[in-house]
Amino acid sequence: MEGLRNDGRRWNELRRIHCQLSTSSTNADGSSYIEQGFTKVLCNVTGPAEPSNRQRVKQDSATVSCEVYFAAFSGTDRIKRGRNDKKVQELQTAIQKTFSSIILTHLFARSEITISIHILSQDGGTLAACINAATLALIDAGIPMTDYVCACTAGQSTSIFDNEGASPDPWLDVNYLEESDIPSLTVATVGDSEKIVALSMENKVRIEALEAMIAVGISGCARVRGIMDKEVRRYGKEKLEAEGE
Amino acid sequence: MPKEPEISLTEKTFVLEALKQNLRVDGRDLQSFRDIQLTFGDDYGFVDVRLGKTRVLARISAEVTKPRPDRQFEGMFTITTEMGPMASPVFEIGRPTELDHTLSRLLEKSIRRSTALDVESLCIVTGKRVWSLRADVHFLSHDGNLTDTACIAVITALAHFRLPVVTVSGEDITIHSVTERVPVPLSLLHWPICVTFSFFGEDEGGDMVCAIDATAQEEALRMGDMTVTVNKNGEVCQISKSGGVAVEAEVLMRCARLAAGKVKVVDKLIAEALREDEVRRNKGNLDWLKEGKSENER
Repeated sequence: MEGLRNDGRRWNELRRIHCQLSTSSTNADGSSYIEQGFTKVLCNVTGPAEPSNRQRVKQDSATVSCEVYFAAFSGTDRIKRGRNDKKVQELQTAIQKTFSSIILTHLFARSEITISIHILSQDGGTLAACINAATLALIDAGIPMTDYVCACTAGQSTSIFDNEGASPDPWLDVNYLEESDIPSLTVATVGDSEKIVALSMENKVRIEALEAMIAVGISGCARVRGIMDKEVRRYGKEKLEAEGE
Repeated sequence: MPKEPEISLTEKTFVLEALKQNLRVDGRDLQSFRDIQLTFGDDYGFVDVRLGKTRVLARISAEVTKPRPDRQFEGMFTITTEMGPMASPVFEIGRPTELDHTLSRLLEKSIRRSTALDVESLCIVTGKRVWSLRADVHFLSHDGNLTDTACIAVITALAHFRLPVVTVSGEDITIHSVTERVPVPLSLLHWPICVTFSFFGEDEGGDMVCAIDATAQEEALRMGDMTVTVNKNGEVCQISKSGGVAVEAEVLMRCARLAAGKVKVVDKLIAEALREDEVRRNKGNLDWLKEGKSENER
């Protein structure tokens, strides 16, 4: 099939995104659930609350901490990832640092905001889904942030350049098969400003191809933001109407 | 754990205001590294890298082990980092800090995942015996930019290391000592080198400053950072920017291109240092090295 990817999408198409707010009403201050294709992530936010650990107290701002749990059944092979797994720790630091700069932490001195993320199913773009889920859960918890943080992935479809020197279109929102096959990056932007707050790439790529990948990633972030914003507004409206009755 | 001493307000204002005028406390311009000094030890694969006051030591060691059952053709290569109170009182032994995690992951991604070292070349007998290489990185002094220094140290040490020659006859494996046979260099496919950018100030109105090779003082004051790993062929092996100030894509691309330029210079510097060391080691006996050819006129 000409120009179609293995799951039938074109180069610039996102997978289906389904998101929900307030998924667990009792034990968290904010919660969310997001599906990006077959990547499924559940996120709970607690806080601002008293820090569980004395060392984490900061006198002038809130501490943001993040816990990531991979369900053993989330990948193709059953792998139990413990707390000290390097991949888990890297995800935690990436998410924690990203949100520390977006949340208005100076409003909650000497307190802690905990983002705990459960990855139920992995099908590419795990980091992106985690960031999106955390944004929604923080909004649900009513924690002030400067803007939405939306993340998306982009992959370089092939490393062969055609005769005119133009590279082929990068692929937006890669799935697991594509992610393990081609170089890809995750980019997270703030609101619709097109400014990058987090960027991560782990594969080798020609520097000439990088710009196009980032550009496609940013356009994906804008679309993700649209979808998330729609859900937030729908949920808010529903909530208001329910209270009005 | 002792906390890092906070920088006084006057010092902070001074450094940041100076940066706004493209000036740095140590007199460098924004886009230059501090002096890189490479010292080699008596053994192969032992390198001491100094970047200003930052000092990192890397050592490669090799042993013969059994390969992993799922990767029978491949040798093993691990990088271990150790931060102790020697580098800075903030670090404690046995209690890795966040910096420790990010640094070891960065080295892993930059060097191991970009397949800088051809692990298949470490195989001796398929499924039975392989070389297991280990790079130990020790931080002796911390004055900022540990990532770049550690990356340079590991790459230089790998390029400097020589593996003993092994001969296989039937089931028997003989490892020849250095005096018996000249040991061979590792097969390094490329030299990935990290360049870390530090961002100061907000991106609004274009008054954001971006500098490379930050000192410890600048690191404590920066608002965001990004590490780009490039090799001299212009291939980006890894990029990571997590959090910090939000930056335009255009600025990031400019940083990546700048990094590609810087890496070429560092690459040349390492190659030069390695060549000098080689000449020093072969003092007086191997003339072909200096002449650069394998046959001499008789």
